[in-house]
Amino acid sequence: MTIIETVDLKKVFRSVVRRPGLSGAFAALFSREFEEKVAVENVNFSLQEGEIVGYLGPNGAGKSTTIKMLTGILVPTSGVVRVAGIVPSEHRQQNGQNIGVVFGQRSQLYWDLPLRESFELLRAIYDVPRDRFAQNLRHFSDILDLDRFMGTPVRQLSLGERMRGDFAAAMLHDPKIVFLDEPTIGLDVVAKEAIREFIATMNRERGTTVVLTTHDLADVERLTRRIILIDEGTVIYDGLLARLREEYGTHRILVVTLAENYPDVEVEGAQPNGRDGNIVRLRFNRHEVAAETLIRRVLDAYRITDISIEEPDIDSIVRRIYTEGYNALPAALPI
Amino acid sequence: MALAVRPPFRLEPYLEFGKKAIAREATYRFDVFTSIGSFALRIYLLRMVWVALYARNAAPHGLPLHAILTYSAVALLMGLVLDVDQVSSLYTKLHDGSIVSDFMRPISVPLYFFADGTGEVLFHASLIVPSLVLALFIVHIDVPSGGTLAAFALSFVLGYFVGFCINFILNCTAFWTLEIHAVQLIVTWLTDLLGGELVPLVFFPVALQHALFALPFAAMFSTPLLIYVGEIGPDRYASALGIQAIWLVVLALASVVIWRAGSRRIVVQGG
Repeated sequence: MTIIETVDLKKVFRSVVRRPGLSGAFAALFSREFEEKVAVENVNFSLQEGEIVGYLGPNGAGKSTTIKMLTGILVPTSGVVRVAGIVPSEHRQQNGQNIGVVFGQRSQLYWDLPLRESFELLRAIYDVPRDRFAQNLRHFSDILDLDRFMGTPVRQLSLGERMRGDFAAAMLHDPKIVFLDEPTIGLDVVAKEAIREFIATMNRERGTTVVLTTHDLADVERLTRRIILIDEGTVIYDGLLARLREEYGTHRILVVTLAENYPDVEVEGAQPNGRDGNIVRLRFNRHEVAAETLIRRVLDAYRITDISIEEPDIDSIVRRIYTEGYNALPAALPI
Repeated sequence: MALAVRPPFRLEPYLEFGKKAIAREATYRFDVFTSIGSFALRIYLLRMVWVALYARNAAPHGLPLHAILTYSAVALLMGLVLDVDQVSSLYTKLHDGSIVSDFMRPISVPLYFFADGTGEVLFHASLIVPSLVLALFIVHIDVPSGGTLAAFALSFVLGYFVGFCINFILNCTAFWTLEIHAVQLIVTWLTDLLGGELVPLVFFPVALQHALFALPFAAMFSTPLLIYVGEIGPDRYASALGIQAIWLVVLALASVVIWRAGSRRIVVQGG
């Protein structure tokens, strides 16, 4: 069943043009010029209930703007949004009951209150039955290890603790849909894994629909197969992540630390991709040359102390699509 | 599939917001001490000023010294509540963008600010008792008849809500400008000086008095205070309270209109 649907969604922001310098600042007191910036345009997608989708794109691509329209915070300039059958900006409160939101860069917990009291307040806000509340809290505490800092004011929590608190807060009222906007940003590996495990568990056990924006490809690979790629405000890809990687993530980087100071490092099948002292980066296409072959060539020609392979991250894939253009991938297959 | 049926209104979240606001204010203990301390200092200074002025010019405009001292003391006590910008969190939240958290919850956001502000004010109102005790060591405060006190109380409540609306509208301007300090400064100055918080409006030229009396700033301080000291007698209660009530209705309607316009054009700062 379709739970989220957008049709020709568009949002335009109007902002004041700032002229440079002191004279510009004074001039702005008397006359103002406005410029319009299209944040998103022609955004069309739909999500099935229980699906997890990665909503990806470079900074400023319009990810957050889309999320804010889906949560009812921003009113679309034109187009249609439906979330669980509701137009969010028109029925903000009803939509609020259906959704849970986590912004990685912004806590929705109450800053001055201990975590436990934030949860109590959320129970009152969402009218969660007390037994359900207690059950959820116990369950989340087990997965996210919240007990250690339940009584600590939110402002004293570490980022990892705060994020775990934010996740529990977003899920306390059993939302049908959760929006996660860069939920693992700035976290260490342990905290990241705890968060990913929590998202996967909620999706598996409760059938929660998840929209995830992130710059961390590992989040996406761990959690979802489908991604929607947005750039400059429009959807440029909607389909399987594996396929996008297959088509565009073709280049890897072989990072070699040399044991001696060789003036020029040349290896057949790879292009130099920067050098920092004895660390040499070699870019290669994995369809043209196997990593194994390339490593053997390096070992035959040079004495080295270390070697590693960098996988393409989503940013570099996006960057590649952006610079080379999104060409002729056949129409995306829905999952 | 869920239908867009508005769920029934529940008071519980708003009671919780109010309670949390009281608890939050109570954590800033230092503010409590400075607030009471500066209250005592101001009441002492005002007593000195009025006593010195009255020594040269006995009882101008029919307000005897004990009345003006009562006026000043009650004005300062009222200021403990009325000078609180209980909607300042709206400005803060618009400025840093954290307003988004409130907009994605199943609550009425303006009612949230009302509940939060009321909690904040109730905490500050609790400071009236120790401040009053302290004030009684510094000046004598006249206590009027029961009827006058009742009219004063009603007028004070009306004035409080007028003040709430003014603060609400003031903080709402951040929807457009994102910066409100200049406007805030002007409004503070207007309430201090033209609202009768510092100097009773009866000391002003008559024409100006009439003009000021009709402004909302007078509805906050001047009207309840002049009722308290008897300058506004029972024959004028109806008109004085009526003007306050009219301002309350006008400003409440304006608040609704401005909120609707503002929240529709909300621009979230950062991200």
